[in-house]
Amino acid sequence: MPSKTIAQNTVTPIKTNRVIWYGFLSVLVLIGVYGLIMRMEMGLISTNLTSNVPWGAWVAFYIYFVGLSAGAFLLSSLIFVFGMEKYEKIGREALLAAILSMVLAMMFISLDLGRMERFWHSLVYFNPFSVLAYEVRFYGLYVLILIAELYLSMRQDLIKNARKNDLKGKIAKICSLGSTDLSKESEARDHKWLKILGSIGIPIAIFGVHGGTGALFAVVKAQHYWNSAVFPVIFVVSALVSGTALLITFYIIRQKVKGGRVDKAMVQSLAGLMIGFLIVDIGLQFYEYLISAYSLDHQALDTLAILFGGKFSFIAFWLVQTFIGAVVPIFLYLKFKESVNALLTAAIMVVLGIVAVRFNIVVPPLLIPQLAGLSGGYYFPSSVEWMTSVGVIGFGLLLYSLAVSILPVDLSRPIEKMGERSER
Amino acid sequence: MAKENINEKISRRDFFKPNFSGAKAWAAELFAEDETKPKETKWAMLIDLQKCIGCDTCTVSCKAENRTPPGVTYNVVLKEEVGTFPNVTKVNIPRPCMQCDQPACKQVCPVKATYKMKNGIVAIDYNRCIGCRYCMVACPYGARYFDFGENYEQEMLGYNSYQTNEYGVEKRERKKKAPVGIVRKCHFCFHRLQRGEEPACVETCLGDARYIGDLNNPDSIVSKLVHSGRAVRLKEYMATEPRVYYLK
Repeated sequence: MPSKTIAQNTVTPIKTNRVIWYGFLSVLVLIGVYGLIMRMEMGLISTNLTSNVPWGAWVAFYIYFVGLSAGAFLLSSLIFVFGMEKYEKIGREALLAAILSMVLAMMFISLDLGRMERFWHSLVYFNPFSVLAYEVRFYGLYVLILIAELYLSMRQDLIKNARKNDLKGKIAKICSLGSTDLSKESEARDHKWLKILGSIGIPIAIFGVHGGTGALFAVVKAQHYWNSAVFPVIFVVSALVSGTALLITFYIIRQKVKGGRVDKAMVQSLAGLMIGFLIVDIGLQFYEYLISAYSLDHQALDTLAILFGGKFSFIAFWLVQTFIGAVVPIFLYLKFKESVNALLTAAIMVVLGIVAVRFNIVVPPLLIPQLAGLSGGYYFPSSVEWMTSVGVIGFGLLLYSLAVSILPVDLSRPIEKMGERSER
Repeated sequence: MAKENINEKISRRDFFKPNFSGAKAWAAELFAEDETKPKETKWAMLIDLQKCIGCDTCTVSCKAENRTPPGVTYNVVLKEEVGTFPNVTKVNIPRPCMQCDQPACKQVCPVKATYKMKNGIVAIDYNRCIGCRYCMVACPYGARYFDFGENYEQEMLGYNSYQTNEYGVEKRERKKKAPVGIVRKCHFCFHRLQRGEEPACVETCLGDARYIGDLNNPDSIVSKLVHSGRAVRLKEYMATEPRVYYLK
């Protein structure tokens, strides 16, 4: 059998690749642990944050990962709520990525808290006028919905896996939560509940989780650059951009690692979505700049000056956000749509580009002093901030790699309607 | 109660009819303006910019009084040169916390650690603040500072041995305890006001440019000057309704 020989030939490289990959991630996590110890030992003095620039890299990464999560989830809702079966293959992966992104976002924001040990205050005490107070609760609700959805979408495969007696089987047995119903009716019930939960999740993700995170910034009247109603919308759209890009990246890389066939039609369709969202995002961002510029407010104008011509503007805005994050991906999509590798490159570039978008949202307005005569700010993340960020992201990739190798993230069998298009 | 009603042969409909008389009386009592009762003190500060000589004494005395660590300065004097030579003038604007009546910081705080006291002062609960720094971002006056845990132990022996009893809490050693890791700001020297003293900046001002007083009392100097028509506030368009007034 040809497939068997392929399997035999590829065993060794896959194993070494796996060792290298997990070794690499462990190094990242160890760097992060070192950074975390420094952070715990010294407090926020280990960062380059000041009273002038109170928010920095950790907040930027926090909104970045909330965005990834919301984007991935909304993509999954295309499948589970709107029944777009052509994306079926990435449905569970989208939910998994959404959960893990949320975990990372929460890790980043707890790193950022001055009193980490008091994080529970945000759940116990409630200010009904604070956007952030609602956000915290929305995050909790949202993660619960995501976990329930992921469980329902994998339930039958978990039960099947639980029959095996290896580690994977044992974990599947725990994750299946004692359910053993493999009947068609139970599957239909799962799908019904997926649809219900997804329908509840969509407004929570759009208005609660990510629109709300945008509103967190937009309501701050003191920061003119943030204070516009288009801001929450930009957040949601850029979430869709980064979430779609992340899923394209994960899907293609995983297929390549497994030696599976990449569903080119689906990737092209997803890439089209990504580029479409990206163009809408750029358009809305243009309006955001226009609104700031038209206000003629000196703070807003100074923010734009820093954004377009400040010390780090060449790297943060022109190179990463504009060139890597937008121009090259659009070019690759238009010119090399037939090449999966080109689309993968485009997706990775977008994932990186949105990081710069998030930094450019958080940092530039804070560099402008609130009153003439107050000292202005300067901010570049400190080594501890970089180390912890690298560590948290490495930890996230580690969790993801473990999850995809243990949990039945791939469909065990294609659903009936798309039987012909399924591979192998 | 029920027994009386039965004896009076009250109809069932009347019995179940809601009776708000008690609530009405309570509400009337609650909203009644008692003219005889003196209104509570509501603090406000007034700074006469014509008298300010930009000596920074307020900043220094504030630091001494509140023993604020490096990087935390409740009061600063903003010094600006306006105009081009030879038509130049120097403007000094001392900036404490504005103790806004509609504080942007209070609005955004997720845990209600920042709150408005009845006496007009915006307070921070050091034991509740989680250090998210949202309030710092939201303050239009840059009046909030994060305590990064630094100290003056190198310059000043015994700096760590105790902290000022801000908000009337007991003095304690400066360790990795609150207020380290949380947000701090000027509170009109609330602990001094409680003792019947003026805030440190008001007391030490060389030019006698700063006044503290009760805006609810029409006879106070601050009240009279605030209503003199000369008083302005910083960034009034922010709708924060500051309680710090400036005389131009």
